[in-house]
Amino acid sequence: MSEASTSAHPDRFSRLPAWLRPRGRELPGSGRLRLVETTLLVLLGLLLAIATVNDVIRQTHTNHRLIADLATWRVYTGHAYHNLSIEQELFGTASQHEVICGNTSPGAPKARTQLCLVIYGPISGARRTVHGGWYLPPKVEDVRGDRYGCFGAASRGMCPR
Amino acid sequence: MSVATQSERGVARIRSDWWRPALVSLLALLLVAATAELVLDGAAGRSPLVPKSPPIAGWLAGIGERLGYRVFLIAILSFAGAYAAMLLLTRRPRGAVISKRWAIVLIAALHAIVFAGPILISTDVFSYIAYARMGVEHGINPYLHGPASISHDPVFQYVGHDWRHVATAYGPLYTLLSYPFAPLGVTGALWAMKIVAQLASLGTLALTWRCARRRDLDPVWAILVVGANPLYVIYGVGGAHNDLLMLLLMMAAVSLTLAGRDAAAGAVVVGGALVKATVAALLPFMILSRRRLTPILGALAALALGAVIAYLAFGVHGLDVVSALNRDAAFVSTDSFAAEIAHLFGKPGVFPVDHDLLKAALVLIALQMMWRTWRGYDWVAASGWTLLAISVTSTWLLAWYILWPLPLAVVTRDRRLLVATLAVQALFLAHQTSPLFATVQ
Repeated sequence: MSEASTSAHPDRFSRLPAWLRPRGRELPGSGRLRLVETTLLVLLGLLLAIATVNDVIRQTHTNHRLIADLATWRVYTGHAYHNLSIEQELFGTASQHEVICGNTSPGAPKARTQLCLVIYGPISGARRTVHGGWYLPPKVEDVRGDRYGCFGAASRGMCPR
Repeated sequence: MSVATQSERGVARIRSDWWRPALVSLLALLLVAATAELVLDGAAGRSPLVPKSPPIAGWLAGIGERLGYRVFLIAILSFAGAYAAMLLLTRRPRGAVISKRWAIVLIAALHAIVFAGPILISTDVFSYIAYARMGVEHGINPYLHGPASISHDPVFQYVGHDWRHVATAYGPLYTLLSYPFAPLGVTGALWAMKIVAQLASLGTLALTWRCARRRDLDPVWAILVVGANPLYVIYGVGGAHNDLLMLLLMMAAVSLTLAGRDAAAGAVVVGGALVKATVAALLPFMILSRRRLTPILGALAALALGAVIAYLAFGVHGLDVVSALNRDAAFVSTDSFAAEIAHLFGKPGVFPVDHDLLKAALVLIALQMMWRTWRGYDWVAASGWTLLAISVTSTWLLAWYILWPLPLAVVTRDRRLLVATLAVQALFLAHQTSPLFATVQ
């Protein structure tokens, strides 16, 4: 049995007004509906394309900033470690204040005492400015209760004592 | 125009198009090379794009180098570019005619390469295994607890951090299907999941072929569009996602409907929804199109049977798919179009009001599609548009969600659906490209 059999019972809906009755196939029409639909689809596609490009540019700017932040942590500590963690939410993503944490001596990620630096400001010479920071014991996440040795203006109120 | 003139023009066109098959073969080689590059580099391990996993592809290690974002993006963009060019060159009526054997060999090669390699991109398959092991090995209901409840189990270390406390959102049929793999150990279960993904994918392609042929569409081109799609091969099959099983049941339902077996089709859609609920979106369109009681009866029978089995296996929680869907609908991924549009308008992200607006938009689109179906529009296309709308309006968008409408798009005559689906996939890939311009390391 083929799809054409969908219109096999036309009288079942004959009591409905003509505009409400089901059809086995769409009427050819003037193509206006198709034109309207296609125009809406193209406009929606344009919106999504613009939003995508905008987001790629935004993310690329963020990546440039994060690259500078990682370089800043490495220069500041003198350790060329690659396993550094980046926290963007602590001060709010809109603030563009990042917290970069890494080990103070060689080891697996978070296996040693960690040094976290609060970094913000404009990029200059592929670096940004360190405005403060704190230490964390090994094998803990960056939560307020575990921080100690806070230093610099940006870390005010970030340590429990 | 005389027959002789037409014949001369035909011969001239064939002569002038000699380069098309050669170019298509080159593009096919590029697809294979890009896939091999991703798999071999992925097998080298220690990549942010390859989840932590038991060493199933260790025998390939040492051939490639660690897979970084830059290589990944270049490979996937090359794959996508070659795929797009191949589709344009092979599109009928003027495109190069490719044989059934040629298409099958290409698709089989892509699948075989991905099968040999590690799990790519996603940790989801380890969640599937964890939920199975929770039920079988530990007697814990996966609809009540997350994998964190089996933190001592060997699979736990591989489950994604975001999902460790999350109970399963998959259908009870899928959870039960995964149960026999639990006693195989993590590595055995992983191979079993990879085999299921491969078989589901090949089954989906076979059904796509059958549906395209029934509708007088080019079946070779149809399976090429689906089976050589970069998101399908790398993200879908490469990640062994259960979406492939859902697609298999979706295409089985379409195939049964085209064969006039409405009751079975209705039942299979419900079966698909018991794997992953999204496929239930097909049911209203199928019913409106057929305008018979049989698909409804088939669906109700399958639903009753599924509910009894789910209740016996998982209690009342196994039936509560709606709350699991609501929970997942609240998630926000950076790749979602909703988040991108929010950023475009200067908002930091998606707010509750945006969720409501998106849901309202989705309902309007679905209603419009239902009305069109009632008035004679192709129900398969209407289902495809609705699945595409679900992925575009979702605030939690993952690559394999944009695969849902693809097999439907190639078995409908409304080519706009295919263009829109591929365009959305292209935008998704484009959104991944920022590491090409600035790699954070």
